[in-house]
Amino acid sequence: MASMGSLTPGRQVEGRVNKIIQVLKASVFLTSRLFFADPQWLIPNIIAPFIFTMVAFFLFQGQTSGSAFLLYLVLGSGLMGMWGTTIYASANSIGFDRWNGTMESTLAAPVPLSWIALGRVLFNTLQGVLNAVFILVIGLVWFRVGFGLVNPPAFFLASVVTFISLSSFGLLMTTLLLLSRKGGFITNSMEIPVYIATGTMFPVILLPVVYLPFAFMLAPTWGIEAIRLAALPGYVGLPTTYWEDMVVMVLETFAYLGLAFFLFKRVEAYAKRMGTLEEY
Amino acid sequence: MQVLQTSREAATQKAAISVQGLTREYVTRNFFGGVSRTTMALSGIDFQVGYGELFGLIGPNGAGKTTTIKILTTLLTPTGGDAKILGLDVRKDLYEIRRRIGIVFGGERGLYNRVSAFDNLRYFSDLYGVDPAVARKRIPELLSVVGLTDRAQEKVEKYSRGMKQRLHIAKALVHDPELIFLDEPTIGLDPGGARDIRNMVRELKAQGKTILLTTHYMFEAEELCQRIAVISKGKIVALDTPSELKNMVRDISVIELRTYGATMEYVEALRRLPNVVRVVADLDSEQQSIRVQTPLGADLLPMVAAALPAGAKMIDRTIKEPTLEDAYLRLVEE
Amino acid sequence: MKSTEGRGLSADSRLLMAWRVFRGAFFFGRKGLIIWDSWDMWVMQIVITPIAQIGFFAFLSIYLKYPTSVTQFIVIGNALQSMSFSAVFAVANITSQDKWQGTLPSTMVTPANRVALFVGRAWFQVLLSALIAAAGLLYAGGIFGVSFAEANFVGIAVVVLLTSAAMISFGLLISAVGLYMRTALIVANIFLFVTLLLSGVNFPVSELPGWLQPVAWVIPLTYGTEAVRMAISGASLQSLLPVLGWEALDGLLVLVVGFALFSGFESLSRKTGRFEEY
Repeated sequence: MASMGSLTPGRQVEGRVNKIIQVLKASVFLTSRLFFADPQWLIPNIIAPFIFTMVAFFLFQGQTSGSAFLLYLVLGSGLMGMWGTTIYASANSIGFDRWNGTMESTLAAPVPLSWIALGRVLFNTLQGVLNAVFILVIGLVWFRVGFGLVNPPAFFLASVVTFISLSSFGLLMTTLLLLSRKGGFITNSMEIPVYIATGTMFPVILLPVVYLPFAFMLAPTWGIEAIRLAALPGYVGLPTTYWEDMVVMVLETFAYLGLAFFLFKRVEAYAKRMGTLEEY
Repeated sequence: MQVLQTSREAATQKAAISVQGLTREYVTRNFFGGVSRTTMALSGIDFQVGYGELFGLIGPNGAGKTTTIKILTTLLTPTGGDAKILGLDVRKDLYEIRRRIGIVFGGERGLYNRVSAFDNLRYFSDLYGVDPAVARKRIPELLSVVGLTDRAQEKVEKYSRGMKQRLHIAKALVHDPELIFLDEPTIGLDPGGARDIRNMVRELKAQGKTILLTTHYMFEAEELCQRIAVISKGKIVALDTPSELKNMVRDISVIELRTYGATMEYVEALRRLPNVVRVVADLDSEQQSIRVQTPLGADLLPMVAAALPAGAKMIDRTIKEPTLEDAYLRLVEE
Repeated sequence: MKSTEGRGLSADSRLLMAWRVFRGAFFFGRKGLIIWDSWDMWVMQIVITPIAQIGFFAFLSIYLKYPTSVTQFIVIGNALQSMSFSAVFAVANITSQDKWQGTLPSTMVTPANRVALFVGRAWFQVLLSALIAAAGLLYAGGIFGVSFAEANFVGIAVVVLLTSAAMISFGLLISAVGLYMRTALIVANIFLFVTLLLSGVNFPVSELPGWLQPVAWVIPLTYGTEAVRMAISGASLQSLLPVLGWEALDGLLVLVVGFALFSGFESLSRKTGRFEEY
């Protein structure tokens, strides 16, 4: 570290932050390039959420009274789309390198793997947001959902924090896939249970009690509650307030991030000790 | 003792790579976490590579080459011994080492095929923390050095093997490393592609870079390297200049045969002849090439001809000086 | 290499060779499905996914305060639909695996009978898909309270097997696309969702917009969901026959189209040399 000696502490921190930003930018950029290199990937991002919304629409048909109910449906579908993209694509972010044969090159770079993964996850979650926006557009244009929000700033805040919590969850999922080939199994089999557990379409309170702790451990459960409280007039869900939901979500998001970074360190150490990530 | 210690430290500081008593064992664990098998991949190797040196590491598959490279590039921790890269400890100074070394992986691994060469280089330059202003200038330069300027915007999947390998080299140079590891850089390339790569390696050497090269091709090692370490079963069995290594087999000469219709039986018959040290045969093609190592030289020729079975033909036979390959075979087989 | 084989073959030995290819492809199909290599994929496909999927839509129905009959309609539909992953996705996946492993060119250079190769690879999946649907129906009865008191079990078995085979035809059709395009798995994925919407899984086809209804009847599962509900409420084999007949015809049609695509894409691939891209 002698070479760093000439730098003032301030410069060091700034250098480090710049370096993180540089890696994040590079990672987001590459992921987007890989995404657009195969434009067919747009299909699941447009068609799949569209179909989900359609199924839900047909199911809700006849039971709906007023646009608030439709907005409820559209918000739920949007979150389902975001969830799907986050879980599926993020878990595959570093797995892609394993598959593509770039794992060694990635591991050999002088930056922690978690930064690279974070860049990928951010892009994937962003993709999920586009998903949600697309569903909202379908709702507004096709199903004529009214978009009168109860509290727009609170809605915006809750959406942003939910986005962050989804990204953090995606990062955690990424480590699972790194730790084990079974990661694919975990993420695949989690998709629908997670839709259920976070109350995307119906309140979690309907679920059998054994399911509830799982539901409460998922930060987006609280995010969806907060979003609905901020968007829908007279919404009754969990017996919590908007701010209570937000606090729990933020705390859980921090827990995800902490756990993810901890696991990344372990994974990298393990890879060095065993000489490979390939043999999990 | 004190003096020895000091001189050793001095040597360590002078060397770009310094390896002392390096060991690595792999432990395979069973389901319950108990040790089921322990494999010794490296059992105590020592060598040093000076600044600006082009150093070769050769050995059969599974001898420990890849393990050594992985340890030296900080991808794997050793289980014993020490390794210093540019005076830095491979166990502790990971990121500092990684910033200052470049790695070229052989074969198809290591590139993003669905994006362009330019995007690959830009991505890795960012991962290595290269100042964007510097990268903007350096990437086109590198692309021109490796002759990919015209196709820099094309997806890598459209490239030939040779082009991919040249891009690999550019990728390893994007952060201007002092020390470069080339892990079988010419594997699977056609002769022209391999020659391009070798010329680039020479060019890097001329620029004063320190290079560690592993290869399966003996002529390549002989052509490029100043010193070569031969590694076999996790140990370094010889370390010297190519000419000194060849001296080890000065006592023998080589009869090179080209035959038509020869089989494994003929090879076995040759092996049974007196004074035959070793027979290496390539029987796969229509014409077989067989190398017989013997101290007798031309005196063995009548016996070699006599052993040829009926129906087989001798097309050509020549007496040759032993090559690095002959030395290598002796070293790794003993 | 001159060969006398192939030209002077009698019809009998042609058939025999086709059978060998079929048999080989059958075993390959089973082995090549990496997706089934490990126990966890079995757990996921046979336990977790069906229960979760049925539960998701059942709870949604309960939340919307639909009568029990509607919820049971949804439960049965999803129970049968849960075979789609195995029937469509996994079958389409065979070709993709081939591409990833780089074994596709070596398969395609063989002189093997293409029909046998095409169909043989998928038959193991028919049994598997039927098993998954059976598991789904078991959950429907055991967990979600669907009554099987009046059920025609032979009828159910026939429906499940036929639907499974007909859906595999769809999987093969998509895998034919996969011969040429990278998108096969995506198409397969989308198809899984499409069946949720179109095949009478969650609501009757008659509720779809008029222009979508003919599309629904192209998918074999649409006949399957109708037939399985009939069988569960005790319909005799005889009364099931018309629906099953249409389903079989539909499956056959899809198979023929799939094979035509397979052949078409094969020659297209030869022209453009795209086998090795993924």
